[in-house]
Amino acid sequence: MHSLKLLQTFARASFQQELAYRSNFFISLFHSLLNLGTGLLALLVLFGQVQSIRGWDFPATLALLGVYLIVSALRGLVFGPSLESMAGMDGEVLTGRLDYTLLRPVNTQFLASFRVWNLYAFIDLALGVAVLILAVVKIGQAVPVGHWLSFLAALVSAVATLYALMLVFAALVFWFPGVLFTWIFNSIFQMARYPVGLYPSWLRVVLTWIIPVGIITTLPAQALTLGLPLPLQLGGLALSVALVTGASLLFRVALSRYASASS
Amino acid sequence: MNHRGGWALIKRSWLSWMQYRSFFFLLAFGWMVPPLVYLFVWHSAAGEASIGGMTAPQFTGYYLTLILVNQLTYSQTNWTLGDVIRSGELNAWLLRPLSPHYNVLSAELAGKVVYLAFILPITGLLALVLRPELNAGPREILLFLPALLLAWLLRFIWGYWLALLAFWATRADALLTLQDSLVFLLAGVVAPVPLLPAAMQTVAIYLPFRYMVGFPIEILTGQLTATHVAQGFAIQAAWLAAALLLARLVWAGGIKRYSAIGG
Amino acid sequence: MTKPCIEVHNLSKTYRVPVREAGLKASLRSLTHRTYQEVEAVQQISFSVEPGEIVGFIGPNGAGKTTTLKMLAGLLHPTGGEATVAGFTPWERRHAYLRRISMVMGNKSQMLWDIPPLDSFQVLGDIYAVPPAEYRQTLDELIDLLGMRELLTKPVRNFSLGERMKCELVAGLIHRPQVLFLDEPTLGLDVSMQNRLRQFIREYNRRSSATILLTSHYMADVTALCPRVILIHEGKLLYDSDLQELARKLAPFKLVHASLLVNSTPPAFPGGLQPVEVSEEGRHTFRLPRDEAAAFTAQLLGSLPVVDLTVEDPPIEAVIDQIYQEGKV
Repeated sequence: MHSLKLLQTFARASFQQELAYRSNFFISLFHSLLNLGTGLLALLVLFGQVQSIRGWDFPATLALLGVYLIVSALRGLVFGPSLESMAGMDGEVLTGRLDYTLLRPVNTQFLASFRVWNLYAFIDLALGVAVLILAVVKIGQAVPVGHWLSFLAALVSAVATLYALMLVFAALVFWFPGVLFTWIFNSIFQMARYPVGLYPSWLRVVLTWIIPVGIITTLPAQALTLGLPLPLQLGGLALSVALVTGASLLFRVALSRYASASS
Repeated sequence: MNHRGGWALIKRSWLSWMQYRSFFFLLAFGWMVPPLVYLFVWHSAAGEASIGGMTAPQFTGYYLTLILVNQLTYSQTNWTLGDVIRSGELNAWLLRPLSPHYNVLSAELAGKVVYLAFILPITGLLALVLRPELNAGPREILLFLPALLLAWLLRFIWGYWLALLAFWATRADALLTLQDSLVFLLAGVVAPVPLLPAAMQTVAIYLPFRYMVGFPIEILTGQLTATHVAQGFAIQAAWLAAALLLARLVWAGGIKRYSAIGG
Repeated sequence: MTKPCIEVHNLSKTYRVPVREAGLKASLRSLTHRTYQEVEAVQQISFSVEPGEIVGFIGPNGAGKTTTLKMLAGLLHPTGGEATVAGFTPWERRHAYLRRISMVMGNKSQMLWDIPPLDSFQVLGDIYAVPPAEYRQTLDELIDLLGMRELLTKPVRNFSLGERMKCELVAGLIHRPQVLFLDEPTLGLDVSMQNRLRQFIREYNRRSSATILLTSHYMADVTALCPRVILIHEGKLLYDSDLQELARKLAPFKLVHASLLVNSTPPAFPGGLQPVEVSEEGRHTFRLPRDEAAAFTAQLLGSLPVVDLTVEDPPIEAVIDQIYQEGKV
């Protein structure tokens, strides 16, 4: 109950911060549209030359772009900005303001993950949903209910996986202060714009098993367009649970390291 | 102009940049990812066949060159210029018996060396793994080098006048984002310009962006006839002249405004 | 006798700091074989504080004041020793404990910069789950005490350092902590703002009877607020008692200032004593043992045309500086 109330408080305070600058809205809108525009045009260029790449045709890849935009928007809504303000450039770990976070009688991981909201991420969310709908229309035939359910389940575990990965990268800052791990992660996450199957096999292994950003977008898109075999669906779910658990443990170790090392 | 002072500034910037090299290596890694993604995408799309006359190894050659050219021509200093103007740090620049342009130029040149120290070994390694095909004779290389130099100047000075708009608008860096997106779409990153849909190709040929990255690479990979090369150089030079003129005008107007409102 | 609020026994903290040598070769070697240097920031410190006391932590830069404070606030794990604060072991960081304490750091802000302070306070009120009625009452009281009602609706970004510090104090006290750790609360403030905050801290302590532990570089903070000081130097506790007592113990002499109607020839002073300083206006300063001061001034008044006379202790700054230099009491 208290947690829900806190989420509401954090969202409200963040929104007030955003509204302090009127231009923020227009700049966010501009960036969102630019991001959407480049993504769509890139697909048009690509599929202007070929019919399909390794089984991915235009509608399926478009669906994947929709998933990418939706997942990015959900991340940009809350845990992205929160973890960024902790571990990013001039983040709290570096400035020492993490001390205040640690002094609060609230679970530290909860505070670190959900404190800063960016409500303009709703623009991205809306655009992502629009792209997804466009993709479903382009597929040309009704998507069965089973695929929709499977898609939603895969989307939830995709967001959880993304959260876990970001938490891991943020936690690494405690060992190597000053290294921009969030930037590294964002760079790698760019690879999720295309199906993991398009990459050479060595990279596919990395993006599936080592830094599994590949499956974050590929699994939900595949669920929607083709349906997922049960083992894959459950595997994705199990992976996200395992990753969130592991990341939380790592974060705890990182915090105890902070407590024993900082001055 | 005080050239000796300028050189001292360049040396100092370079030394301090080398101290933060891991930070700049990370930035360079991030900028490398989008071209890398399209390398893999086009490589997979081509498969055993060819697209628009380019085979998979040729795509690899094209994009590995692009990673180098993109890094060499990318101007990171224009991103910080807006902050310098807004924070009033410009006052310190203006107090020195030295043209303030040297500050930007020294950071720019120092950055190039640091980024090159990262990007050369990485592309070398990628070349070993990915086996590119690049048939560039002495004629291509001779034409490539001046085109590359002009491309850097054009991209840098074009971004410079956009960044200087910070004298008037606080969020002028949104225009730099727009420039990045247009470079992505029209300068051969999303696809080599000859592979773009006809309408985009026409736009690409007449706007300045292709001449910031794609043009020198097209020369090197032998995709252009002699007439096209000559025409390209003419357009590139014309845009460079325009950029220089714009930068001059914007700087003069901006400084006037800056001293009028007291920074 | 009441149970102490803070009990510290043999508390120690040792950092392992990697040693980095210059040069590429050394930095490559450090990848595989790191050498560490042990820094004993705090060594076997013991003390206890009664509920409602204000205690000043003093010591030169890097003495271990902040490290001790951070261990007591639960931010740092000690490498040895024990501590109990309000019945809890701080570094277990139990929520019940965190709700009872607060730490305000002069060099770090906990305010949200782009919105008015009132909104930041509300966020903190929610984090600490302060009941609404109590929240309003506490806030009103603090705002009146600090005289900052007019600040409440402006964004913090535009505040002066002093105004910001007032906000930091409200932010730190909104949940009515039993124990308050103040780390350099007057850092960088002008003299009148320092005074203002000192008054506030004293008044807050009187009203709430919260236990306060304070570190400061400004001796004035300590002399104004803390009847008792704990002096730390190079991680060791050098002194823990009454502040005036410290001055007496360290400086067993007094300063006598006497303004004389100046004659052309230098006068003969009682006992042949020479002034340590003579100002142009004829103010003579003598330095002499504490128990001889009374007899000396009586003789001085009897033998010479004294216009004005004062007897005082040497300034506390001078005393403290002497300890820092010598490293012992």
